[in-house]
Amino acid sequence: MKSSAAPALPVFQAKDFKSDLKPIWCPGCGDFGVLQAIYRALAAVGRPPHEIAFVSGIGCSSRIPGYTTAYGFNSVHGRALPIAQGIKLANPDLLVLVAGGDGDGFSIGGGHVPHTIRRNPDITYIVMDNQIYGLTKGQLSPTSPRGLKTVTSEYGSVEAPVNPLLYVLAYGANFVAQGTPADMAGLSEVIEEAIRYPGFSFVNVQSPCVTFGGEEAQVKAHRAHMKTLKSLGHDSTDRLAAMGLAQLYGQELHTGVFYRNPEPPPTLDALFRERQETLAGKALPRERILDAFIQK
Amino acid sequence: MDDLVIGMAGSGGDGIVSAGESLIAAAAYEGYSAMMTKSFGSQVRGGESSCRVRLSTTHVFNPGGILDVAVALNWEDFLKFGAELPVSGATVVIYDSKTGVEPAAIPLAGVAPKEVFAVPIGDLAKQATGTDKAKNTVVLGLIAGWFGIGRQGILRGLEKRFAKKGLALVQANEKAFILGEQFAKEHPLASPRAMDRPMGVPGKKMLVDGNDMCAAAAIFGGCQFFGGYPITPSTEVMQFFTREVWKYGGSALQAEDEIAGIGAALGASFAGKKAMTATSGPGMALKTEMMGLASIAELPLVILDVQRGGPSTGLPTKPEQSDLFMAAFSAHGDVLRPILAPTSVADTFDVTVEAFNIAERYQTPVIILSDQEVAQRKETVDLIDTSRFTIEERRRPTDAELTDYARFRLTEDGVSPISHPGMKGGNYQGAGIEHNEHANPTASGKVHAAMNEKRFRKLAPLRLRRDLFHIEGNKNAKLALVAWGSVAGICREVFTRAKGEGLDVKLLVPWLLYPVADEVYRDFFASVRAGFVVELSHQGQLYRILRMFTDVPAGVVSLARSGANPFQPDEILAQLRNAAVSLQQPDVSVPSEE
Amino acid sequence: MTHRIDFSKLSVCDALDLAILVEEEAKDRYEELADQMTIHHNEEAARFFLRMVQIELTHERILTNRRRALFPNRPCVVTRAMIFDVEAPDYGDARATMTVRQALEMALGGETKAYEFFDRALKEVHNPEVRDFFGQLRSEEQEHQALVQAQIAKLPPEPVITAEDVSDEPVAH
Repeated sequence: MKSSAAPALPVFQAKDFKSDLKPIWCPGCGDFGVLQAIYRALAAVGRPPHEIAFVSGIGCSSRIPGYTTAYGFNSVHGRALPIAQGIKLANPDLLVLVAGGDGDGFSIGGGHVPHTIRRNPDITYIVMDNQIYGLTKGQLSPTSPRGLKTVTSEYGSVEAPVNPLLYVLAYGANFVAQGTPADMAGLSEVIEEAIRYPGFSFVNVQSPCVTFGGEEAQVKAHRAHMKTLKSLGHDSTDRLAAMGLAQLYGQELHTGVFYRNPEPPPTLDALFRERQETLAGKALPRERILDAFIQK
Repeated sequence: MDDLVIGMAGSGGDGIVSAGESLIAAAAYEGYSAMMTKSFGSQVRGGESSCRVRLSTTHVFNPGGILDVAVALNWEDFLKFGAELPVSGATVVIYDSKTGVEPAAIPLAGVAPKEVFAVPIGDLAKQATGTDKAKNTVVLGLIAGWFGIGRQGILRGLEKRFAKKGLALVQANEKAFILGEQFAKEHPLASPRAMDRPMGVPGKKMLVDGNDMCAAAAIFGGCQFFGGYPITPSTEVMQFFTREVWKYGGSALQAEDEIAGIGAALGASFAGKKAMTATSGPGMALKTEMMGLASIAELPLVILDVQRGGPSTGLPTKPEQSDLFMAAFSAHGDVLRPILAPTSVADTFDVTVEAFNIAERYQTPVIILSDQEVAQRKETVDLIDTSRFTIEERRRPTDAELTDYARFRLTEDGVSPISHPGMKGGNYQGAGIEHNEHANPTASGKVHAAMNEKRFRKLAPLRLRRDLFHIEGNKNAKLALVAWGSVAGICREVFTRAKGEGLDVKLLVPWLLYPVADEVYRDFFASVRAGFVVELSHQGQLYRILRMFTDVPAGVVSLARSGANPFQPDEILAQLRNAAVSLQQPDVSVPSEE
Repeated sequence: MTHRIDFSKLSVCDALDLAILVEEEAKDRYEELADQMTIHHNEEAARFFLRMVQIELTHERILTNRRRALFPNRPCVVTRAMIFDVEAPDYGDARATMTVRQALEMALGGETKAYEFFDRALKEVHNPEVRDFFGQLRSEEQEHQALVQAQIAKLPPEPVITAEDVSDEPVAH
């Protein structure tokens, strides 16, 4: 039987997600490309801007929500994930995005990552990973390579870096991808896929800092080194294979989907909704909530 | 007798607190006004345990001072509670004869109680049930027998409690109860102390603790989201929410830490839902940054702080009133956060509902400053007519306001209509960074000053909220008492007794602690020459704050001390008497009015 | 790089529309770059990028007029979503203190990319009219490249002191 014509989805263009605020990032910053990729991805997904909540922490990359027409919340350092979960649980119909840098996400915010992953709310987390703290002028970051000389590692960093890809894969994230603004179209595709994936999705973006990163780390260099996971014949349904490749973080720039769980587990928001439906009305109405305390 | 204070102690395994619960439940059912507090050693179980039950045919304001009845299942444990279970010569002392202590030689230094009963509690329990485990039920029988309270209620309670485990157990416990009762009848008190019967119909009182009351009130007030983390003594609030809020279409999240808990609640508020978090002192410290974010982002949020002994880990199971400075001032930047303090389980309902209303109306975080005693004590509460409460919602933008919507529009009253994701045309960037009317980041001094001014101005009407103060006594009285939180309950009794003695004293109990309603205090203190701000903190924090924001007469002093040192009505009354006497004497240090 | 265009299926109208979008995308990019330069107080580079905006607008207008003349009533079925950074120069090549020379080199990069795009397209197009048209576009891009290179050649040598040398340190926020 032919279904009655559903109202046509409004067709959005990238520019519908572009706000009037002009980015203050340094010219050459990788985040410009990420922003373009996000506009494209959102246009492809087709949710109107007012149904999107875009949460960020603190850092250059955390300014990104303000450059979109979505509702944004540029919150405090490292705490975007809990806030985003609160938004999603309060209104599960919203499209919830989270963005931030490597310090915001894996230093001060690191404690929230495993719990967000294991709860699996349907939100998408985009980390702009540039191995440095740019906004505060060039300090070491948790993903800085060993030996890197910065203003807080004059003699070279003696710490091994966090591997964000391995971290999230090990904690059980069901969608993990990486991209670079050197391939904006590819980046836009993984972001779109991440948004569409039901559950917590993680996209690490190698987005270089033009002011504090070396020339060898800039977008041009990415183009020379990047390899797509597809070209390596990687099976993205194999978590262990993904982790094997993820171990090369820092040595190789692999782009594309590391892991996509072919059987997405139920999301936190769906489970909560189910519980609400099951328990609906199984309590005294609000005005009579105190009756339960009466000693009858 | 119209008022009875019973204190009981033993080891956790004796179920003495359980007995207290049965007793207060029975008292509530029968229509008494009653209150129960508990106190423990540091073991999670099996340590020393005590409880105190006060019941009265008139209103009970506090758990009482000197015990009328002291029950010790063993003396080591009883003595560990020291001043929390004060005994006098008039106390009826009941203890297990198995302790081997002679009635004339009970180890209560400095007191000689006239009526002491060494009862074979353990043996009676064994007789009834085959084991000495039912000691607590025997104790209930003794109390019912000697003081004429709770028989019906206790027996009903025993039946409910043990029914699942089988009739044999119910009957055994009933037997234990009866044996206790019998012993009491066979060994009557020298001066009979039967409680008067309460007036009114049984089965018409609520029995509830402050934490449950707060959670229920929050849901009544429309709270749809709770984010939090376990911390003594507030965890029960989270437990109530994680059990109940789904039934009302809401969600609750036990987050990975205190910061995530309040962060999730803040997110829910940003998304348009009423939200709260609950914690104690250490958690408040962690939540400070998020509270600042809530203030500058102008988001409604309710934060319950159930105060306990501080600083740092402090005394997790003892009440103190030492978080006031933190609640008022812990923010970097210029921030004004309304603070409300309940004084009893009963008014925890009113205060919580009002906290949500204030949060919504002014788009601000609001702190409810409770304390361990109010939060965890069980109290009988008369039925509350929920229909007399108004529930407020945040001001939403009209269609006209959504065309060229300015989230932080500088309005006359300082409150800007607030949108939320999902609302077409209301898109804006929430942020911790300073912003202009259109929510764009700014570092302009002019805009910053205007925004600070707005954020403060919108809360100014709170300083005129006389309805958030309880004032009693002769308007022109020269002697004054000010108290907040659980200490207010002590002072209300002091006030009543003082008036009874002919002392001309007035009492002020604030629900609204901050901002300081300077006009209210000015009017109150106008006639005052001497008095006390009574509170449980080493620094006397409310006293200090009052002196910061309003004029406090020189003769009004701070009567404050560290938590876990409960005030007794008698000692405050003594201080009031002294102050009254010194007022009568001409005193060169009190400036005369010219 | 583009992933979604099947060049073998394009009509001349589609090809024209595509070319228009390529110019539009480049124009948008130059506008953004001009904004970046203005925000970073690099007036010279900002002026250059604004000139590029005008140049791209002109190209766009020429193509649009041609399209209107040839296919007045045909609806447009190609979208911006089908192209990604064809002629638009790479964000990553911009610098806050870039000189006009560096900006011209960026523009050259854009024209080169566009040339390569149409060159690639030619290999996949079978329709002779469309081939012809793409061939023209490719030649035009070659001309643009030459124009830019001529501009570069005309430039005076880079000054001894560059903006990088005298700039203040970056500011922490």
